[in-house]
Amino acid sequence: MKLPNVLPALQNFRPKSTLTLGNRRGQTLAIAIISILILGILLFSRQIIGSSGLEIALPERNLPPSLSHLFGTDWLGRDMLTRTLHGLSFSLWVGLLTASISAVIGLVVGILSATFGGKVDAFIIWIIDVFFSLPHLVLIILVAFAAGGGTQGLIISITLTHWFNLARLLRAEVLGIKSSEYIQVSSKLGHSPVWIARHHMLPHLVPQFLVGLVLLFPHAILHEAGLTFLGLGLSPETPAIGIILSESMRYLSVGYWWLGIFPGIALLMAVQTFDILGASLRTLIDPKTSQG
Amino acid sequence: MIFPKIKKLNIVFRHCLGGVLLLQSLTACSSTSPNFTAAGAISKSKDEIVVALGWDDFDDRGFDPTLGWNYYGPPLFQSTLLRRNEKLELVNDLAQSYSISSDRKIWTFTIRQNVRFSDGQPLTAEDVAYTFNQTKQSGGLVDLTMLDKVVVKSQYKIELHLKRPQITFINQTASLGIVPKHAHNKDYFKKPIGSGPYRLVQWNRGQQLIIEANPDYYGTPPAIKRLVFLFTQEDATFAAAKAGRVQIARIPSSLAVQQIAGMKLYARSSDGHAGLMFPFVPNTGKKTPKGDPIGNNVTADRAIRQAVNYAINRQFLVDNILEGYGSPAYTPVSGMSWEEPNAVIKDANANKAKQILAAAGWRDRNSDGILEKQGQKAEFSILYPAQDTIRQGLALAVAQMLKPIGIQANVEGKSWKEIATRMHSDAVVYVLGTYDPMVIYNLYHSSARLGGWQNPGYYANSAVDSMLDQGMASALETEASLFWKKAQWDNQTGITTKGDAASAWLVSPDQTYFVSTCLDIGKLQSQDRNYNGSILANITAWKWTCN
Amino acid sequence: MQLTNYPWKFIWRFLLQKLLHLFLLLLAVSVLTFVLVSLSPVNPIDAYIGSDVMRVGAEQRALIAQRWGLDQPMTTRFFLWLGQLLQGNLGTSITYNQLVSEVIGDRFGASLALMAIAWLLSGFFGVILGILAGAKEGSLLDRIIRLYAYTLASAPTFWIALLLLTVFSVKLQVTPICCASPPGVLLQDVTIWQRLQHLILPALALSLMGVANIALHTREKLIEILHSNYALFACAQGETITGIIWHHGLRNVALPAITLQFASLSELFGGSVLAEKVFDYPGLGNATTQAALRSDVPLLVGIVFFSALFVFTGNLMADLAYQVIDPRIRIGKSAS
Repeated sequence: MKLPNVLPALQNFRPKSTLTLGNRRGQTLAIAIISILILGILLFSRQIIGSSGLEIALPERNLPPSLSHLFGTDWLGRDMLTRTLHGLSFSLWVGLLTASISAVIGLVVGILSATFGGKVDAFIIWIIDVFFSLPHLVLIILVAFAAGGGTQGLIISITLTHWFNLARLLRAEVLGIKSSEYIQVSSKLGHSPVWIARHHMLPHLVPQFLVGLVLLFPHAILHEAGLTFLGLGLSPETPAIGIILSESMRYLSVGYWWLGIFPGIALLMAVQTFDILGASLRTLIDPKTSQG
Repeated sequence: MIFPKIKKLNIVFRHCLGGVLLLQSLTACSSTSPNFTAAGAISKSKDEIVVALGWDDFDDRGFDPTLGWNYYGPPLFQSTLLRRNEKLELVNDLAQSYSISSDRKIWTFTIRQNVRFSDGQPLTAEDVAYTFNQTKQSGGLVDLTMLDKVVVKSQYKIELHLKRPQITFINQTASLGIVPKHAHNKDYFKKPIGSGPYRLVQWNRGQQLIIEANPDYYGTPPAIKRLVFLFTQEDATFAAAKAGRVQIARIPSSLAVQQIAGMKLYARSSDGHAGLMFPFVPNTGKKTPKGDPIGNNVTADRAIRQAVNYAINRQFLVDNILEGYGSPAYTPVSGMSWEEPNAVIKDANANKAKQILAAAGWRDRNSDGILEKQGQKAEFSILYPAQDTIRQGLALAVAQMLKPIGIQANVEGKSWKEIATRMHSDAVVYVLGTYDPMVIYNLYHSSARLGGWQNPGYYANSAVDSMLDQGMASALETEASLFWKKAQWDNQTGITTKGDAASAWLVSPDQTYFVSTCLDIGKLQSQDRNYNGSILANITAWKWTCN
Repeated sequence: MQLTNYPWKFIWRFLLQKLLHLFLLLLAVSVLTFVLVSLSPVNPIDAYIGSDVMRVGAEQRALIAQRWGLDQPMTTRFFLWLGQLLQGNLGTSITYNQLVSEVIGDRFGASLALMAIAWLLSGFFGVILGILAGAKEGSLLDRIIRLYAYTLASAPTFWIALLLLTVFSVKLQVTPICCASPPGVLLQDVTIWQRLQHLILPALALSLMGVANIALHTREKLIEILHSNYALFACAQGETITGIIWHHGLRNVALPAITLQFASLSELFGGSVLAEKVFDYPGLGNATTQAALRSDVPLLVGIVFFSALFVFTGNLMADLAYQVIDPRIRIGKSAS
């Protein structure tokens, strides 16, 4: 019986870099980077394209998609492609801003709740439960109304209503860590709670927070679009996607289908990109599911 | 073991049970056969037609005249003291005759006898008195604060005492439906009992209203016995018209360019006028009682306001924003018999605009395309209510027309609330029906400067004030007309462009309807557009001409 | 299943606890809501007057304010409202000139029909798609279903509704373009089929979001089950995949599916606000939008209150279902 000759194979062995497209991690990373690029372009499209297509041109109104107007024109002659990109960019920025602040609120509340425990924790949990007892959109409408409606109402409302899930998640994380042995050992060794928080808890929380943050964006964006669509959000001269879509409804039965279909697809793709980015990030950096 | 089977079937059962329950609940609320053919079209005859109008505002509030059910036209279920005929002149309806006292403060009406409400009770002066008193104190949409008291002289004679002479009160008598004193309560708005040509059959809020002819009506019985009114959004109205489900459909002018088989387009000039209201005074730091800022340093300059009026091409606005369905307006009452013809200007004149501005000292010192004067840029904001596309289009088009002459207009769509706080210091696109001269009074009389929607620009001109006052104190509408004209332009001063140019009136949009070719809704109004309210004004004269 | 063993005692105690919870919750919600809406600087009088602003003078506006009690301070208004609520009166809506309870009553039926159908559709298709995807994990079918689910999950509900409206009502003209019943037909003459015809598109639009979620969750759960030990054991004994799914998969998938379904009631309500606007369907969702647009405080507060009740019921049913279906909880209770 001849033993397999493994020496040559071993001699040829060279550790491969993990950063290739050959393996799944590399592919996920590539997807993440492409997503970020796409989103970057969308976010800055206003600066890239400029606002020349936003001028009204009444003689050119209601044109179907053509080479000069890829997405057609609206009833005031404005180029729909420019409007869609502007609107998308604007909605994305609003979503980004509100979701970020919301996520930070969630982080703070989650950590505080878990750290202080006892009555504070119970109270915060109860408050979150009260908020959860209402349908999310109804709560958003209520808060937007209370904050005065319009742009300011919308932004305040979305900021204040999207932190619940993240807070609960991070609170659970912190609670889980708090009772683990290495924390207790660390604290018995004399480290202050702040030191422990910085060196042990934060590395644990950061991945969750980042993933949660990125996954919060699509929710905020969709809710902003929804609220604006209903007429409760931004005013119509700010070209936001929700407004574009709501205005397109007026011309549905006349057959100007391009007014609503293209902006909707654009929104869908932007939100989809965020979701993909979030999923990729989770695969990359979440310690529980990471491949790295 | 029974457990596994139950659990397995649980999911299936859950859905089946749900389905069965649902089906039951739906069955409980319906009955037998459908009312129309398989194609979905409702077969129409000379006895019933379907109408789709933009009635949303009133739909929600119901049909109580004391709360505001009158829609500038006949309150279908009730009668009014006076009404307007096909030529839109005021004629007697419930009233057999009326007279106004010499001090113009007491209006005496004698009403006809033998009029019955739909529940059989007779209509007397008591009901008229009750209606007017109730309306005055109800906190609804009808403003009767000028009414002092009502005196019942006899069973069919009544006196209405005003606090001060007001010729426009006649419009109130032509639009306020009389309600029965014995049957009026909080629920009246959904079960209106009246003496009008029609009776309410069914009302589904937000969806439809079904009415039928009142067999006891004292006037000419209507030819169309049943009407169904639909309250659908513009887009759905158009679709319903295309599908042949409605016989009259009110559509926005943007959709009027479409074709529908079996229907013809009916464009009806209306008394609606759209225009920019300018702040008349400069900003000196003064505020309204509510604390809103008053004044705009740019629009306070008459040259700016006049230049704006001359630079705008109103026909272009009509052709492109209203798709041709409308007419240019140079005064708030264009198309009315009391418009002052000399107030009309030749617009679309950018050169004249530039001359006026230059003569007033506006120059472009830094070549940025915007004029300046004493350090002030020729820049102001135009506000419009966010959900109104016509106003949005008008505002944007106007801004585009002002750019070449060096004025920068920033268009902003805002909520009513925000407009309310900013309307004294920014230009606002107003659209209103102006058949009632009281509106002109409320827009331009100095006493209307109350920090509210009336006279938002704080316009004040004592000559104009005196014209308006004299108009109100007139005994007849024809006499008042002369004064309304003088207020617009009397060769020396006035509210229009040649005078103070207090506003920039733009267009008077037509009301556009698709009407079935089988339906005859009367002649188009005569040349002299005296009053242009609702299409329903002559509803009792409509006829179905097909078989 | 023998009824004498059934833990009725636990069910009653459970229900009482929940009722107390509900009461506290509703109180908290009502305070929160009232405070929030009262903070709003919107002027409801202007909303009431609407386009008649020019014909209504200042005196008249004061009269309107007085009639609706709009000139009182917030705390007074809250206690007035609370007092009325305890008597069963939710106040009067400015927008509809009707009792709020009547507005909600009128419209809830319509919304309920819509949500019920959407709920059934999303549950049905969600579970089926999820099982198909899970059973054929990694295959083309699985990938298509997953792509479909992911896309749907990130699509705006109202845009999907718009898309459906464009395709089916405008282009193909197989469904009506709006409303709950055909125009011009008397209410009592509207048949079930007509109602269903008007319901089908909004319900479809509403259900699509739920389908995506349920499909994905069911798929994950089924994959977990198929990789479990007992499934492996059954396979080793000669059971086919279909058999495993039928005998083991369904009942284990049932629990999370049901919980998800009942929890989705909250999402459904929110979704109905958007769907009803697109289809001009006269339900509770549309009323919510109108109330917010017109600053109709009593109506808005009433609807929020009612929706909290609705969501609570959904969660309660999920918990009850858990108690009944999950053998661990049920047997555990009856044993102790």
